[in-house]
Amino acid sequence: MCGLVGFLYRERYGPVGEIQVKMLDALYRRGPDSTGVAIYGHPRSETYVLHARIDASDGAVESVKALEGMKDVTSAGADLRAEVTWAGELERLADSVEHANGHIEVTSIGRSMEIIKDVGSASDLDRLYGLSQREASHAIGHTRMATESRVDVLHSHPFWARPFADIAVVHNGHITNEHKLKRRLEMKGHRFFTGNDSEAIAVYIADKLADGATLDDALKDSVRELDGTFAYLVSTRDGIGVARDPFATKPMLWAETDEFVVMASEEVAILAAFPDAGLVPQELAAGEVRWWYL
Amino acid sequence: MVPVEEATLVDCNGRSTREINELIRGAEGSVVVRNPLGRHCLGVAILKPLQVVFQGPVGWYCATMGDGLEAEIHGNCGWSVGQNLMSGSIVVRGHAGSSSGATIRGGTIRIDGNSGARTGISMKGGTLIVGGNVGYMSGFMMQTGTLVVCGDAADGIGDSMYEGRVFVGGSIASLGSDAVEAEVTEGDLAELAALNVEPSQSWTKLVAGRKLWNFSKKEFEVWKAAL
Repeated sequence: MCGLVGFLYRERYGPVGEIQVKMLDALYRRGPDSTGVAIYGHPRSETYVLHARIDASDGAVESVKALEGMKDVTSAGADLRAEVTWAGELERLADSVEHANGHIEVTSIGRSMEIIKDVGSASDLDRLYGLSQREASHAIGHTRMATESRVDVLHSHPFWARPFADIAVVHNGHITNEHKLKRRLEMKGHRFFTGNDSEAIAVYIADKLADGATLDDALKDSVRELDGTFAYLVSTRDGIGVARDPFATKPMLWAETDEFVVMASEEVAILAAFPDAGLVPQELAAGEVRWWYL
Repeated sequence: MVPVEEATLVDCNGRSTREINELIRGAEGSVVVRNPLGRHCLGVAILKPLQVVFQGPVGWYCATMGDGLEAEIHGNCGWSVGQNLMSGSIVVRGHAGSSSGATIRGGTIRIDGNSGARTGISMKGGTLIVGGNVGYMSGFMMQTGTLVVCGDAADGIGDSMYEGRVFVGGSIASLGSDAVEAEVTEGDLAELAALNVEPSQSWTKLVAGRKLWNFSKKEFEVWKAAL
């Protein structure tokens, strides 16, 4: 099990952080090991925002501050956040940050996306990182019950589709052709940093988008090419997509109004955030994909 | 039906699932459950005649392992509603998740809206009625009983059924392994009329082709497809 949630305002920014916390708290039982969100604020035109997992005791913040292009470097708990001016490849930016100090792992880079994740519950995440204070256009979130790789921040969802800016994935299930997928993508020059199968979905989708595929085409391809059990959400700078495996093994619901779209593994999460909205969530069919844009 | 004014009220707010279920099971006659808000495992293991009304959407495994209850859910329900029902009735005034009415042995479950994948999986009796459409592989491995789908059936309807009957009132995306069409008899139509159901188009009846009952080397292709 794992819990997935997604939320998107069609035409405005709003209290997406607060909505994510409520929904993820309701799915705590589906994933008590760790919680995370990929949340999209106002996009920057000049800079990127970078998040990294650090060991605050060994001077990581100072090491990153000393790098070229860094400004507003702050840290909360084990999370480092920085605004960066960078004109080159994002992989080189991520590498330079990680090489600045022995205990840094970059968890996201984007114009608008920020991935905030840690072990524990959504309430823990909110207390540490002020998640419920964040205004955003859209976000995806995850509560993790670890089944096949370590319980730590690096193996928590959402997975950034490194090195593609602003793309992240949350996944419930198990991709059985993970190694084949990773090998194929490695041959195209991509790298993987965890033993987690969900990381492969993120890079798989981002690679297709970079090759010119639309989000809906990438989603449809994934239903054919991913083996195993899955419901997953993928978020980009301007939208969210969702897919469910052809055997419908993992739950996924969605509901929409003129104002917003909401997705969740269980209705209890949707009702936790919108108890009186009269939403009628629908279950995604076997092998079905859906996508929504801002 | 016992009037709602005389019913025992159980408010889910501030109570654990165990406390809610103990209050429901301890009641006599009629219970109204307020603020279920999609919680799981409400109204499980009710083994006596008891009317239970859920005033809102419920989560997974609602009214499962029941014998004799009369439940009504005013909203959606999650996966496996009414699983293993022995006798009694469950009505869902909304949509249902996957595996609705799994392994029921008796009684009647009626879902007004759509129901997800594997609806009526491994039914061992009883009647399961879906007013809308059903998802992938509904009626999978059913053994006896009646599954009625007023709307459309997704791929694999009636896959590997041993016995029992499936009626589909709308379109069928594809039949499951060894599910075959049978003639709809006058008796079937009378039975369906008594259940107060209308097909969205016209009734198709599916039964087991019985080719999977015994392994035959000569029909290896049938087994290969089923497995």
